[in-house]
Amino acid sequence: MLLKDTPIRHKLMRAILLTSSAVLLITCSFYFAYEFFTFRNTSIRQLSILGEIIATNSTAAMAFDSREDANEILSALKAEPHIVAAILYDKEGNPFSNYPLSAKTTTVLPKSDFEERYSFEESYLVGFQPVIQGNKRLGTLYLKSDMGAMYERIRLYGIMAVIVTIISFLVAYFLSKNLQKSISKPILALAEISQAIAKRNDYSVRATKLGEDEIGLLTDAFNQMLEQIHTQNQEIQLFNKNLELKIKERTYELEIANKELEAFSYSVSHDLRAPLRSIDGYSRILIEDYGDKIDDEGKRTLQIIVKNALKMGYLIDDLLAFSRLGKQNVTKILLDMNAIAQRVTEEMVAQNYKTSEVTIEPLLSTKGDSSMLRQVMTNLISNALKYSTKKEKPVITIGSYHENDYDIFYVKDNGAGFDMKYYDKLFGVFQRLHSPSEFEGTGVGLALVHRIITKHGGKVWAEGKVNEGATFYFSLPVF
Amino acid sequence: MTNSIHDVDVLLVEDNPDDAGLVIRELKKINLGNSLYHLSDGAEALDFIFGRGEFSERKVEDKPKVILLDLKMPKVDGLEVLRTIRDDDRTKLIPVVVMTSSREEQDIIRSYSLGVNAYVVKPVGFDNFSKAVAELGMFWILVNQSPR
Amino acid sequence: MITRRYIFTLFLLIGIVFLSPAQLSGPSQEYQVKAVFLFNFAQFVEWSPSTFPETETPMVIGVLGEDPFGTYLDETVHGEKINNHALIVQRYKKVEDVKKCHILFINYKKKDQIKQALSALKVKDILTVSDASNFAQLGGVIGFFTEEGKIRIRVNLEVAKNSELSISSKLLRVAEIVKSENN
Repeated sequence: MLLKDTPIRHKLMRAILLTSSAVLLITCSFYFAYEFFTFRNTSIRQLSILGEIIATNSTAAMAFDSREDANEILSALKAEPHIVAAILYDKEGNPFSNYPLSAKTTTVLPKSDFEERYSFEESYLVGFQPVIQGNKRLGTLYLKSDMGAMYERIRLYGIMAVIVTIISFLVAYFLSKNLQKSISKPILALAEISQAIAKRNDYSVRATKLGEDEIGLLTDAFNQMLEQIHTQNQEIQLFNKNLELKIKERTYELEIANKELEAFSYSVSHDLRAPLRSIDGYSRILIEDYGDKIDDEGKRTLQIIVKNALKMGYLIDDLLAFSRLGKQNVTKILLDMNAIAQRVTEEMVAQNYKTSEVTIEPLLSTKGDSSMLRQVMTNLISNALKYSTKKEKPVITIGSYHENDYDIFYVKDNGAGFDMKYYDKLFGVFQRLHSPSEFEGTGVGLALVHRIITKHGGKVWAEGKVNEGATFYFSLPVF
Repeated sequence: MTNSIHDVDVLLVEDNPDDAGLVIRELKKINLGNSLYHLSDGAEALDFIFGRGEFSERKVEDKPKVILLDLKMPKVDGLEVLRTIRDDDRTKLIPVVVMTSSREEQDIIRSYSLGVNAYVVKPVGFDNFSKAVAELGMFWILVNQSPR
Repeated sequence: MITRRYIFTLFLLIGIVFLSPAQLSGPSQEYQVKAVFLFNFAQFVEWSPSTFPETETPMVIGVLGEDPFGTYLDETVHGEKINNHALIVQRYKKVEDVKKCHILFINYKKKDQIKQALSALKVKDILTVSDASNFAQLGGVIGFFTEEGKIRIRVNLEVAKNSELSISSKLLRVAEIVKSENN
C-alpha cells in the first residue's frame, strides 16, 4: 500500500514513531560517540599520567643503573590490572626492566619510539614515555594497557542503547496510539459522516464538533456546507415541484387547447363543407333545370363557381388530414416498401399518368406506420407524376439506400423541378412553388410528408433544378 | 313537407335545409319522393319514430324502411338518435344510414359500434353526392329486404 | 649490538680480573660509570642557594688526589647544564687546594687519609664522593661500592644534612643509607 493511501491514524503513528525513534537514535549515537571519545581520551590521559609518574620515579633507577629499583617501581603496576605490560628502556633503547618480570624481552626499542606517544593499537592502548631527569633523557618507558574494559563498557552502552530504543519505541507506540486519536478521531468522524452522506444522500445529518481546533473549524465549515446544500436541495425540490405544477397546468391548458382545436377542425369539416355542397349542388341544379334559360357565358360562370367550390372542398379535406396527423400515434411495423411503392404507382399510373415511366429499384424493408408511409409514398409519387406531365417522356425513379443507421428513400423525377432559392417554402403548409394554372394542388401534400417523417424520427429533404427535375428524400431511423 | 306521416319509406333527418333539398331532389329522381319524410332535428326524429308529441298519431310499429341520419344536429344529435333507436327492441332493426360531412374516424367508429348499417360521407361535389344518394335509396328501399 | 655487548662485558671481566685500576692508562669502564654517576648526582641533589651567589656561577665538580677519570669526566660534563649552571671540572692535588666546589670526588683509599681530608675541608656544603670503602660511614656524603659486579652507592644522610644538601628521595631509593661510625 502506498504511504499516501494509508489511513490517517497510521500516518500519524508513523510520524510520531519515526520522529521519536530518530531523536532517540541520534541522542544515543551522540551519547555513544561522546562516551567513546571521552573514554579514549580519559584512558590516554590516565595512562600518560601513570607513565609520567613511573618515568619520574624511575629516573634515579635509570641514572644509577638500579635494575632492582626499576623492577620494584614497575611492579607497583600490579595495582593497575589493565596494564598488561611495561618495559623500561635505557638511553640507547635496550630493555632495562620489565613488567611483569616473567615477560623478559631483548628487543631493542627503535629510536622512533623515543618520543612521547600514546596510541591505540588493536584493542590495546600503548604509550611511550621518555624518562627525563632535568633536561637529560635517561630512557623510555613503554606501557601497554588492555582496552578490554573500554570495549566492555562500549558494548554495555550499545546494549543499553538498543534496550532503551526498544522500550522507548514501545512506549512511543502505545502513547502515540492513544495520542493520535485526538487528531484522527474527529477527522475519521468527519470522513464517516461524509461517506454516509455520499451513500444515502441525506444532507440533514451533521458532524459532531469535538474541539475548537482547525479540525473543529473544518467540521463547522463542513456542517455549514451541508446546511447550504440542504437548503439548496430544498429550494431545488420546491422549484421542481412548482415546475411540475406548472407543467401540469400547461399540459392541462394544452389539452384543452387541443380539444378546442379538435372541436374546431370537426366544425370545419362539417360546417365548412355544407355550404360548399350547397353552392355546388344548387349551381348544378341551376344548370340542369334552367340550362335553356342561361346563355353560354352564364353557364361558364356557373362552372367556375362549381370548380372553386370543389377546390375548396379538397383544401378542407387536406387540411383536416394534416391536422388529424397531429393526434395520430405512430405504430411501427416492418414494412415491405417495394409492395407499397408498387401498389401506389400502379393505382396512379393507371388513373392519370399512362405515359409516365416509373422505375422502382429494389427497396429496403423498413419500420414505420403502414398507413402513414403509404400516404408519404402516395404524395411523393403523385407529386413526381404531376410535375413531370409536361415532359415528353416523364421518367420517375424510386430507390433507397442505407446510411448511418437510417434507411433513406427517394423519388426522383425529370419534371418541372424547383428553384433551390425557395427551398424553405417547400415543406410549408399551403406553400406552393407553382401556380394552380401550371399544376393543380393544395400545398398540403409535402407538409404532410414532412409531418409524418418527423413523427417517425426521420428527415425530409429535396434537391431540385428548374425544368430539370427534383429528387425528394426521406430517412427513417433503423432503430 | 306535405307528405303523410304514415307509410314513410325514407325518413330523412337533416338540419341543413339545403342539403336536405339536394337529397330530396335526388330521391325524387328515382321516384322515392312520395314516401319520404324530412325532419330537421334529432328530437323531432325520435318523436316521429316512437309516435310521441307532435307525431302521437303514429305507431311505433309503422317503421320507415330506412332512416337517413345526419350526425351534427341541434338539441339531440344523430348518434343519440341512433343509440335510442338501437336501445329499443321495437326499433332496433330499422336500417339506419349515417350521412354526414364528418370524415372523423371517431364518428365512424362510434356510429358502427352503435349499430349503424352504413356510413356515408357527404361529398362536396354534387355529382358524387347525388350518385351516393341515388345508390343509397335504391339499395335500401328497392333492393334490401328488411326484417319485418 | 648484542655481540658487542658480550664482547664488552667479557672485556670488562678480564679487566677486573687481571688488571688493577691503577694500572690502567685510560679511565676504566668502572670510572666511566662513576663519572656518569657524578654527573647524575648533580641532578638528584640540591645545594643551598648560597653556593650559587650568581646565576652564572658554574657548578664545580672537583677531583682531589690523583684523577682516575682521565678525560672522561670532562667529556661527560662537557656542554651540560644543571639549572642553568654550567658544569666544570677542577682538580686538586691537596686538600688545601680545594676551593669552592659542589661535588668533590676524593680519590684517597686510606681511612686515615680520608678522615683527615674530610676534616680538613675548609669549604662546607660540598657533596663528597669517594669509592674508598666505608667512605660514607667515615663522614663522606656518598660512597661507591661494588656489589655483584655492579656499582652501588651509600649515602650518609646525616652528613648531607649538615652540609645543607638535600638529596632527592629518588636517589635515596637506589642508595643504601648509612650512619657515621665514630671509631
